[in-house]
Amino acid sequence: MSDEKIRLNTDWLCDCGGCHVALVDLHEKILQVLDSVEIQHCPVLTDVKDYPPARIGILTGSVRTEHDRHAALVMREKCEIIIAFGTCAVYGGLHGAGLAHSREEIMEHVYRRSPTTKTDTIPDAEVSELAKMVTPIDEVIDVDLYLPGCPPHPHFIFESLASLIEGREPRVTQDSVCGRCKRQMIKGDAREIRNTLDEVPDERFCFLSQGHICLGSATLDRCLAPCPNHGIACTGCAGPTMQILTEPYLDIRTEVSDRMARLTAIDEDIIKTYMEKTAKTQYAYAMATKMIGNKPTFLIKKWIADVEGQINE
Amino acid sequence: MIHMKIRDAACRGCRFCVDICPTDALSFDEATQKAVVETVEDCIGCLSCGFICPSGAIRHEGHHVVKNFYRNLYFSRRMEKFL
Repeated sequence: MSDEKIRLNTDWLCDCGGCHVALVDLHEKILQVLDSVEIQHCPVLTDVKDYPPARIGILTGSVRTEHDRHAALVMREKCEIIIAFGTCAVYGGLHGAGLAHSREEIMEHVYRRSPTTKTDTIPDAEVSELAKMVTPIDEVIDVDLYLPGCPPHPHFIFESLASLIEGREPRVTQDSVCGRCKRQMIKGDAREIRNTLDEVPDERFCFLSQGHICLGSATLDRCLAPCPNHGIACTGCAGPTMQILTEPYLDIRTEVSDRMARLTAIDEDIIKTYMEKTAKTQYAYAMATKMIGNKPTFLIKKWIADVEGQINE
Repeated sequence: MIHMKIRDAACRGCRFCVDICPTDALSFDEATQKAVVETVEDCIGCLSCGFICPSGAIRHEGHHVVKNFYRNLYFSRRMEKFL
């Protein structure tokens, strides 16, 4: 490695800021990173307002406003390697669920009819306008590397930065969250879908075996499975596994319902229908990307219309 | 010659692979509650076990790769970029 430090820019677009905090969560290891990396533009660590030229650029968040689009384009121009960092950057993330509603509905609900505040003005100055849709950044600029995760666990951040700096292949697997989970998948006798309000699931056994929906088997492991190992079912925050993304007939709901039906006495179609009715939750992290949105099996608009039709009746 | 490997640490003991294998090449070790490769010679490389495995713990090598007639090209172009 040469003595000259590798220059790094980071910026956040439309996101919660958690990915940047995950960078700082490298703890002492960040000192190791700083041995060979010079951090320039980084909203949580430095006060650099412009975008100096850099070798690596990390972008977190998706494109939702004009500011986001501008920042993404400038970062692409100034950085040699762009990493789409975190689920929002890769798949559009949680706010991708905004696709289910129009921009006007969202503005109206947040600023006019919010049940917890009393404001009645839609902001028109200082903030850039909300775009029509949430766009993952690879539809705006070319992305060189993707690191999904909400946020990616520092284990993976360190591994990917280290491999980039050393010029080697990263040692990562494409396992699902189940690969890191400690629960035993047994064949259970659950007859109906349950949730944590109904019962506290036994921590020795898989959520699916006990009739709880858990997306672990359909989700890429970029987290080291903290949720299922601490009593909370996986919500799929790192996005779908590679086989779901590449195979047209596989989908989050078909994968989970197939496995859950094999582990319980619940019919596969019942689970599938349940997941369609709760699609905004089950597909929350990945629905904005074309990789999921363009799937022939993904009919979110129809599912939502069905549910809302039933409510209105 | 097909090689098949199940990573013990990732195996959750669900027996899906044992149940789905058309040639009974896999078996289940009751003592460790993990699936094991019993007779790899019987494996026909259909990859059913690899696809049903919830944790992606099963890897095959040396099998005949059948070209898929439909792929999500949009994603496949991006796949090698994933860290």
